[in-house]
Amino acid sequence: MSRISPVTGHYVTIDVDGLEYKVFYLENGTGQPLVCQHTAGCHNHQWRGLLEDEEITSRYRVIAYDLPRHGKSDPPENTEWWKEEYRLTADHYVNFIVALCDALELDDPLFMGSSFGGNVALQLALRHPDRFGGVLSVEGADYSPGFYLDWWQHPHANAAQVCASGVWDLMAPQSPESDRWKTWFYYSQGSEAFKGDLYFYSVDHDLRGRLGDIDGDRCPVVMLTGEYDYLTTPEDSARTAGAIKNGRFITMPEIGHFPMSENHERFRVHLLEALDILQSAGARS
Amino acid sequence: MTTATRAPSGQAWADAFTEANNTDPEIQAHGRYFTCSYLLDATERSYVIQVASGKVVGVAVDPGPLDVPYQFAIRAGVDTWRGFGEAVPAPMYHGIWAASFQLDMRLEGDVLVLMQNLRCLTRQIELLRVVGSPV
Repeated sequence: MSRISPVTGHYVTIDVDGLEYKVFYLENGTGQPLVCQHTAGCHNHQWRGLLEDEEITSRYRVIAYDLPRHGKSDPPENTEWWKEEYRLTADHYVNFIVALCDALELDDPLFMGSSFGGNVALQLALRHPDRFGGVLSVEGADYSPGFYLDWWQHPHANAAQVCASGVWDLMAPQSPESDRWKTWFYYSQGSEAFKGDLYFYSVDHDLRGRLGDIDGDRCPVVMLTGEYDYLTTPEDSARTAGAIKNGRFITMPEIGHFPMSENHERFRVHLLEALDILQSAGARS
Repeated sequence: MTTATRAPSGQAWADAFTEANNTDPEIQAHGRYFTCSYLLDATERSYVIQVASGKVVGVAVDPGPLDVPYQFAIRAGVDTWRGFGEAVPAPMYHGIWAASFQLDMRLEGDVLVLMQNLRCLTRQIELLRVVGSPV
């Protein structure tokens, strides 16, 4: 019996703000596109459980891409990127995601991201409410300071281990040890991009005072946060969702900052609830 | 945090911690260069833990002010450490980063040494879930 996964991988070349990227993505399923962003300094294997979750892939076309400089998506093809410090901005991040959705000709996609992906989900709802059918902000908030640290690239420490073990506490002790260690392993691979990603996460992303401008009728927003997340706590996400028109918040017990990667079986219960909320909101609008 | 186990004495805790570390497969597999000394300050008790090549080679219980040198310190109140001593810690009692960002834990001294040993140190602190609270 074949053990070949139904998940397939592709590359697509896109232009964003004058930069050319060859973007790698994994996909599986049919139906409304569900575009998935991994966390800072990581890659799309965080969505491995979702990509093979038949209850979801029977209804959604799950697309999990690697942001440029992560996983199998290289840095820009047309610049001497090694001569600049990488710092991801909100403008570029948003433009990238929209360009990717355009290149894949996605109609009414849902966007889901975790951590810095959860934060950019809010940016998308604010800036491009008509391009997306709704957003799922996982472990997101209006503002998440404190993680743009030099320790991630300190030349006197093992950056791979500092990044990987530095985020270890973001996971819940109840999550399966093997899944936590896979997540740790992914983080040991991404230290060069991690700090630059966190420029967006902790510095450039700041929607304090602007959440009222997100039109949750045009682009419904559901936020989900785990109780073991010490960076974006459930209180942070609840406060954020409460300031968004029709924003909804789901707290996730016994789970941390990487729900889809540390414990997909627990996460999927809350995700299915969130997807139902988005479908109901879409039917009303 | 009221249900945490307490070590009967500082020395008993130190002995149990040493045994747990020195027989831990993960630390022994990856700790060849895990060498440092640090102060575990639990307010009502304190310990200077000396590690050499992955082995705990000395624990000074309640040392005097100048008795034993150390490179960095992990300080927190009694309730925080008792939370670390639970088999399944409650949120924010589950690691030194979590407790530093959200509770009263403080990482002080030469934090670079802490970062250089972060992988094994993280595991070592998690041994409190088995050994119990240091205070």
